Amino acid sequence: MAAQLGPPSHADTGLQPERTDLAWGRTILSVLVATAVFLRWIPHHGLFVGTLIVTAATTAVVISFTRKRRLHRAVRGINQGRIPPDVASTAAFAASAVILSLLSIYTVLFVPLNP
Amino acid sequence: MINKANTAASGERGSLSSRILGGGSDPDPRFTLANERTFLAWIRTSLAMLAGGVAVEAFMANFFGPELGKIVSVLLLALALITGGGSYFRWLSVERAMRSKASLPLPWIAPILATGTALIAAATGAFILVGHT
Repeated sequence: MAAQLGPPSHADTGLQPERTDLAWGRTILSVLVATAVFLRWIPHHGLFVGTLIVTAATTAVVISFTRKRRLHRAVRGINQGRIPPDVASTAAFAASAVILSLLSIYTVLFVPLNP
Repeated sequence: MINKANTAASGERGSLSSRILGGGSDPDPRFTLANERTFLAWIRTSLAMLAGGVAVEAFMANFFGPELGKIVSVLLLALALITGGGSYFRWLSVERAMRSKASLPLPWIAPILATGTALIAAATGAFILVGHT
């Protein structure tokens, strides 16, 4: 890690790798905001909300830990003229959003309110 | 399905993903990244709907009343579900179109999202104007 200061350079004047990295960063923030809102839901619906918090927090952690790898992949792709589309990441992230939505709908409709 | 894809593609890494992408050739990497950012924008939209739906149910029950609050909340969460799941298929259809050098498909989640948010806004506005009990 100390051997390399920042990502390798590239010649894209559109700064695509950097913008994509920042887009992932904004998305992590969005996931964290959703996680914070879920935390506030615990007093209303109890521990079932824990499933939402664990799912959202896991998503945020996984994206955070793969962020550097993504940036390097993007720079490498710009240099090589091609980037293999990241099917696994998009599918997993969309699946996470779907699971969170379904769990939330279930919570609203079927998990009883705390008195 | 995974086994089938592995045997079909003779050792090529990511054979399942190339099968999902449906042939063609990798486009300009800048376009791949632009598509990825668009996917993330859709996901963030979904997450905003999700947080909104939860917030309505958790914090606005006194304002809307329990029944209407539930309805607005579930509508927002349904939009989160559609945009969240749709974001992947949107990303995939754009990626496929770029790989086969076809023109890009229209986003079918956009009209759903626009109609849904407009309906929720109209319902909430009407509720405020008519006056809540």
